[in-house]
Amino acid sequence: MKDGDSEQKGMSRRSLLKGAAAVGAMAGLGGLALNLAAPGTAEAITKKLPQKWDETWDVVVIGSGFAGLAAAAEAAGGGAKTVILEKMPIYGGNSIINGGGYAAWDEELHLRQKKNLGNDSVKQHIDDTLKGGDFFNMPALVEVMAKEAPDALNWMINEGGAQLSDVLVIGGGHTAYRAHFSAHNSGKDYTDALKKIAEKRGVKMALNSQVTWIWRKDADPKSPVLGVEVKRGAKVLNIKAKKALILASGGFSQDVEMRLAEWPKLVKEFNCTNQKGATGEMIRFSKAVGADTLHMNFIQLFPFAEPEAGILDRPAVYGFSGPGVGVIYVSKTGKRFVNELDRRDVCAFAQIALGPNMKPAYTIFTDAIPPKFGGKPAEIEAGMKKGRFIKGETIAELAKKIGAPADVLEKTIKDHNRYIAEGKDPEFNKPMKKTMIPMDKGPYYALPMWPAVHHTMGGLRINTNSQVVDVFGAVIPHLYAAGEVAGGVHGSNRLGCNATTECVVFGRIAGKNGAKEKA
Amino acid sequence: MAGLFFNVLIICVFLVSLSPAASAAPQKTNLSKPQSCTGCHGEFSSVLPAKHPRVAGKDISACTSCHAPDPQNKATAKPYSSKLHLSHMQPDAKLDCLACHTWKPGKAFGVKGAKKPLGTLPAEGMDQIRQIFASWASSKYLDAHHGKKNVTCSGCHDRKLPESGDTVASDRCLACHGDIEKLAKKTEPKDFPDRNPHKSHLGTIDCVVCHKTHQPSKAYCLDCHKNFNMKIRFGEGGPGAKNASGAAK
Repeated sequence: MKDGDSEQKGMSRRSLLKGAAAVGAMAGLGGLALNLAAPGTAEAITKKLPQKWDETWDVVVIGSGFAGLAAAAEAAGGGAKTVILEKMPIYGGNSIINGGGYAAWDEELHLRQKKNLGNDSVKQHIDDTLKGGDFFNMPALVEVMAKEAPDALNWMINEGGAQLSDVLVIGGGHTAYRAHFSAHNSGKDYTDALKKIAEKRGVKMALNSQVTWIWRKDADPKSPVLGVEVKRGAKVLNIKAKKALILASGGFSQDVEMRLAEWPKLVKEFNCTNQKGATGEMIRFSKAVGADTLHMNFIQLFPFAEPEAGILDRPAVYGFSGPGVGVIYVSKTGKRFVNELDRRDVCAFAQIALGPNMKPAYTIFTDAIPPKFGGKPAEIEAGMKKGRFIKGETIAELAKKIGAPADVLEKTIKDHNRYIAEGKDPEFNKPMKKTMIPMDKGPYYALPMWPAVHHTMGGLRINTNSQVVDVFGAVIPHLYAAGEVAGGVHGSNRLGCNATTECVVFGRIAGKNGAKEKA
Repeated sequence: MAGLFFNVLIICVFLVSLSPAASAAPQKTNLSKPQSCTGCHGEFSSVLPAKHPRVAGKDISACTSCHAPDPQNKATAKPYSSKLHLSHMQPDAKLDCLACHTWKPGKAFGVKGAKKPLGTLPAEGMDQIRQIFASWASSKYLDAHHGKKNVTCSGCHDRKLPESGDTVASDRCLACHGDIEKLAKKTEPKDFPDRNPHKSHLGTIDCVVCHKTHQPSKAYCLDCHKNFNMKIRFGEGGPGAKNASGAAK
């Protein structure tokens, strides 16, 4: 059957595909592969399943961030011969450059109880996450994430040797102090811990290995995914996944085309906090073998990124961690413009709404504040030299340096100090906390910030077993997804520090279940 | 692809195994594609040590009759110049591989006058060898820098012909350039010590992530930290950043 023939006969795309699948079924192994790529082209009909496999594993994991490492570790723990394929030349994806925050309502160290920071619970974590996502979230997935959050953190501490910083932070949209930070405020603390567990259990990792196709014979609900086509250097390999293919390839924030296709507002001029490998090809390949997606247009801007390159460096975490202990955000006018404890989408678009020539905005604080969220004087000292922090002995001096009217900035800070004392923010209705520290003693600091594309909430549709679901609602056998490549946990807006939790929790579930599949 | 190529890298190996001897500039270089030694050098005696016995012939078979190619890289007896490849691969030499080598596409590849071929080589493999050797001899990148120091293919790639896209393990680099702690000390920026490419927040990464050999090197840091003032030697446009990196011990 040639493509030209079918087009002349006016065959529909669907009948074409049915034909291809039928031929594949007759031919058995080595027949035609399900292929929705470029429908109507010759390739769409003739892409053949591999005749032989270059490598065979029980479980193949795509991506080496939190989710991929956790999945691989648990798959290997379940006795599966497991490999991680990472397309970049270094391991860790976005996870290794992440700020080290992990949301959990408890853990074995019981930091919140020890620090006397009030109450928290699974329910409160679920409720905050659902509310923060405007109730677009799939409640069952949120429940799994929140419920398993403490155990997954304990696992990284106990088996992987991860260490936590002795702070607990309340982040935007959360109503409790549940943001844990790793010892070095870096996701690398967790990726190293997870890698250690994975390696101990015999997981192998191959870098520079980019998936170029997912192999599945047809879209029959009983038809499993078989493996992947991988480009490694100039070689193209076919790698078989006997038990499970686990996608943990991250989001698509760096995929400008895909971003624009979902949300035209996010033009290429926006900075992006992600490593450049955060592109969406695994989602495309999954769709091509029948997978369903959801929430693809919910894309998050990180409101506090470094304004020039758009990176999320250590100071950029100050903007996120600081509001619970009293930092404020001001524009070049010297005035506040948002409830600093509000959600990321609100904080980001409040900045963009300031209008043209208003970049950057600033996080303002004094020396007394950073130690409360794990900020260190040495960081500020180093950041000053790099021009990341701007310092003024007085408010007037600081105002001059950031080009804001001194009297306005003085009034803004004075007013906010009063709101702390009175426990009420009449301007932006911020829920004032007893942990907030008034800024009444210099020196004063300003930290420039501007929103950058950060996280894609949408992705592949999964169930609570981390299995990928097809467009008809059936599970695609042997196909799993975990972490940012999957959608549904965060709804329209992710709360800070929930992503790391989601990745480790669902990575573990995918790995455990994948190892249990029949080869 | 590896299977197709067979061990053609032994070509490089047999040359690096031989110690340097006399070298002399060719008498004339105006031939477009000289396919013999005497076309440029007139007589072999002009490029041989004074005590070398008289040699007759026109091409390298005059040498290989005594100096057998050494695929095992173990030759000590009767060595001759290991710089043969480098000097003859310069752009102005205008020499093709087949001036000295024998090759039937897809079949035996050898050295003129040698009894045993070095291996089999398909057409695309030959193209790759021509390209890489030309780069190794005269590019602005790290391969030519190693070439000048007489480090040939096998110095980094062992004896197997590398496939395009292959990487080199870091311990191979560090065997000459290590250790990494000392390297890191050398590249610690005075202004911001934490912006050290050899000691970054990514931890230990492979040398080849930044240091490319047959193409421009590029500091991986700059992918995200676009505003960093960071230079790497043998990047786009050639050397630069003279004191930025560790030279071989």
